[in-house]
Amino acid sequence: MTYEKEEKRPVIEFSKEISSRLGGETITFCYQCGTCASSCPVAKTTEKFNPREVIKQSLLGERQEILTGEAIWLCCSCYNCQERCPQKVEIADVIYALRNTAIKEGNIPNIYTEFASGLMNEGRIVPISKFLEKKRPEVGLPPLKPAGIDALRKILSATGFDKLWPKKEAS
Amino acid sequence: MVKVKVGVFLSDCEKQLSEILDFEALASYVKKVPDVVFVAKGSEFWRGKGLQEIVDAVKSKKINRVVVAESLPKLSEIRIVQAVEEAGLNPYLVEVIDLKDHCAWPHRDTPSEATEKAKAMLLAAIERAKLLEPLEKLEFSALKSVLVIGGGIAGMQAAEDLADLGFEVHLVEKEPFLGGLAARAGRFFPTDDCAICIQSPASDVKTITYTSRKCVYRSGFSEIPNLKILTNARVVGIEGVPGNYRVTIEKKPRYVDEEKCVACDLCTTVCPVEVPDEYNAKLKTRKAIYVNMPSVYPPTYVIDENACKFQDCAKCVEVCPTKAVELDQKSEKITLDVGGVIVATGFKEYDPSVIKEYHYGDYPNVITNLELARMIDGFGPTNGVVVKPSDKKPAKKIVMVLCTGSRDRRWNPWCSSICCMISLKHAMLIKEADPEADITICYIDIRTTGREHEYYYEKAREMGIKFVKGRPTEIVEDPEDHILIVDVEDAVSRRFLELEADLVVLAASMVPTEDTKELAQLLGIEVDQDGFFKEYNAKLRPTETKIRGVYLCGGATFPKDAPTSSLHAHSAAVKAAKFLSTGKIEKYQKTAFVNEDYCGDCEFCPVTCPFGAITLEPKGEDHFVAKVSDLKCEGCGICVGTCPLNAIELRHSRPNQMAAQMNALLSVNGTSKPLVLAICCSECGHTAVDSSGMAMMQYPANVRVMKIPCTGILQVHQFLEAFKAGAQGVMVVGCKTDGCHYEVGSPKTQKKVHLTKTLLKEYGIEPERLEMFNLVYIEGDKFAEAAQKMTERLEKMGTLQLMGSS
Repeated sequence: MTYEKEEKRPVIEFSKEISSRLGGETITFCYQCGTCASSCPVAKTTEKFNPREVIKQSLLGERQEILTGEAIWLCCSCYNCQERCPQKVEIADVIYALRNTAIKEGNIPNIYTEFASGLMNEGRIVPISKFLEKKRPEVGLPPLKPAGIDALRKILSATGFDKLWPKKEAS
Repeated sequence: MVKVKVGVFLSDCEKQLSEILDFEALASYVKKVPDVVFVAKGSEFWRGKGLQEIVDAVKSKKINRVVVAESLPKLSEIRIVQAVEEAGLNPYLVEVIDLKDHCAWPHRDTPSEATEKAKAMLLAAIERAKLLEPLEKLEFSALKSVLVIGGGIAGMQAAEDLADLGFEVHLVEKEPFLGGLAARAGRFFPTDDCAICIQSPASDVKTITYTSRKCVYRSGFSEIPNLKILTNARVVGIEGVPGNYRVTIEKKPRYVDEEKCVACDLCTTVCPVEVPDEYNAKLKTRKAIYVNMPSVYPPTYVIDENACKFQDCAKCVEVCPTKAVELDQKSEKITLDVGGVIVATGFKEYDPSVIKEYHYGDYPNVITNLELARMIDGFGPTNGVVVKPSDKKPAKKIVMVLCTGSRDRRWNPWCSSICCMISLKHAMLIKEADPEADITICYIDIRTTGREHEYYYEKAREMGIKFVKGRPTEIVEDPEDHILIVDVEDAVSRRFLELEADLVVLAASMVPTEDTKELAQLLGIEVDQDGFFKEYNAKLRPTETKIRGVYLCGGATFPKDAPTSSLHAHSAAVKAAKFLSTGKIEKYQKTAFVNEDYCGDCEFCPVTCPFGAITLEPKGEDHFVAKVSDLKCEGCGICVGTCPLNAIELRHSRPNQMAAQMNALLSVNGTSKPLVLAICCSECGHTAVDSSGMAMMQYPANVRVMKIPCTGILQVHQFLEAFKAGAQGVMVVGCKTDGCHYEVGSPKTQKKVHLTKTLLKEYGIEPERLEMFNLVYIEGDKFAEAAQKMTERLEKMGTLQLMGSS
């Protein structure tokens, strides 16, 4: 067992930081009943993610571990936890608040950078392969319409989305 | 009119004060004040020779206003007022101030400034005393009888106490039998005794020499001569005032004569109607004519109106050997005159079917704690065996889920406080009867806060009951065999568990009974944020409501276990007895009154009064005027501060009395600093000033303290008048906003101060010159600090420039 020095952790500051962000307001309601954990389809598949522990770690002020770790990126946003939390902690939204904080500090998993550049360059998160385009008429789907990339870029720049990402990705 | 003659008594507290204050100067200053006819100096005036001197002066010098400067103002005031009253003067013509704690001690470093402040304080007391009026002593009659609503543990205990004390008591129970929730629960923790067991009444002890406790139906409880029990009855109307209430009760027909029934059970053998037995969690059926349990009070059968076929059947009428069944009984209205009311309507178990993921109501084998209690009870539907409702076979694997609906912001945010212990009790009773039973309790926190409760939890662990720290997310049922799976994370071992169970028991939360709101409205009392009846102040006035004469006890205020309900009931009984024991209510008329010509029937005051003392009474056509009940008014003056038309005044704190006091306090400065008026409520505010002085905390002598009953009495114009009278700054010192002794006074004043600040800006006065502070007695240091800082702030601002002044 390892002991960590409690005084190093600015407990209040981090939970305040998160609760002052959109989506993070309810984080301090948590009393660790674990309803979220047992509701979570991801937690039952991998030990890398447990919503109860993400909240606990945040409340304990483990800022670095949370913001640079991979746990917050594993939530699948099914909102089961949020639906059933007896303290009305908006768990999925808290995790979004944590993700936004992490992104601000440049901690972005590659897959999200790819999503973002896909969105800004092609107007789609998921790239469309030739295979898919060929497959659509076979199952009776109409051909895809162009993504309206110019309008989308305007929106992304008006909301400041384009500035969140490293320059080379947005080019 | 009798000429005002003021006598002033200056105590130097055994020379403690004369080292700081110049008493010669004070005495000669006071002598020059008009209408002061007598001045005495002494070492103490609140006891012994000093007190006698005051009495003599009242008698021989014919002084009719008494001003005393003493230390220990609270204690000395009581003694001086009593002595003066005995000497034949009205006690409300006395003014006692504290030159020690409010002047000499906090300003000991600046003696000459302190002496000047003492002059101002004395002048204020004298000017106020001159304007004081004698108050009349009122007497109201009070009936020595009490209505107790609710025949559970609490109601029965309160009724018994009061009946033993000689009061006429009427106990009203809405169900056909006494006992309430405790009777259904069977046993109580941590002793596993019968929950329905009560203390023997005094009459029992005297006549039958039974000193032991026993259950309601065996005790002499029902035989106490001055206790009348009405079952199957509800309170439908109440009017009147504390001491004299007229209550209307609707008694539903029982269809069986209580005097004739011998409880032979022949009627149920012939009754053809079978209905699910609600009392026993529908685990069995009962007849249309029935009793809940063999041991009930009254020991009289009752007919279920909704199930009985009446004249189409009437078999019970034929078979009854005593001709007790009367199918033509009608409901009747009963009128009672009582002096006080005790509400003991208890709480009820929450219906957890709203929590969809637990499937209560859908799955037969998901039950609540109360349903389990019925199964465990030997008198219950399964004769004490815990079964699966789906097939009535014994349940071997049991999972208990705590906090079902409690501590849940979606349903009931409070902790129901007794469910942990109830679940432990059930688990152990099951385990005792069947050591093979596999019991798991899923918990968020186990709360065992009472005496010996933690040992109970320890015993449960010893017995092999398993504990999982986690709240289940869902219960799933196999539709074939009705086996349940409970999906839960054990946070301690960080594992996900799927617990298999024959039976899942939900510890459903405890909530207010359905008629709480209606009854509260009928009685004119309040419910709290959770919907329970609201106790006026849980520490200072437990079991009391905002209306004297109406008391609360037991689970009606919050879920309670049987011992706590009993304790609460004793308290309510004592409160009611104290209020009614003399058969009269005496009080001085230190109450508010309405100038009817000014009243604009705006309804502000009736809504605001924390004691429900103000009503709107018709006057002429289409016009109403506010009327204050002298009986209910407690003299806080919040109505005065609320009235937009200055139509209400409070006796003993009338506007002219307050103005004279304020002007006098600000008439002498004696310091180079800006004058500050600290208006303090007589409860926490003024005592915080006391405590700062007692601890010799120093603050400048330019701060002048004015005492009022509650800050709620203040009107916006009074702040402006203070500035006009020479104050450079005004501090308002009241109770904490959620700890106001009159509930709404302090929070209302806070808003008023906020509003006045905006107004001050309009007048060109810096809003920072007015500030409210919410202190308690022990925060004397905060008062001293605030007074110091206010003075510094004002010094920086410079002299106040009032519009229109040169």
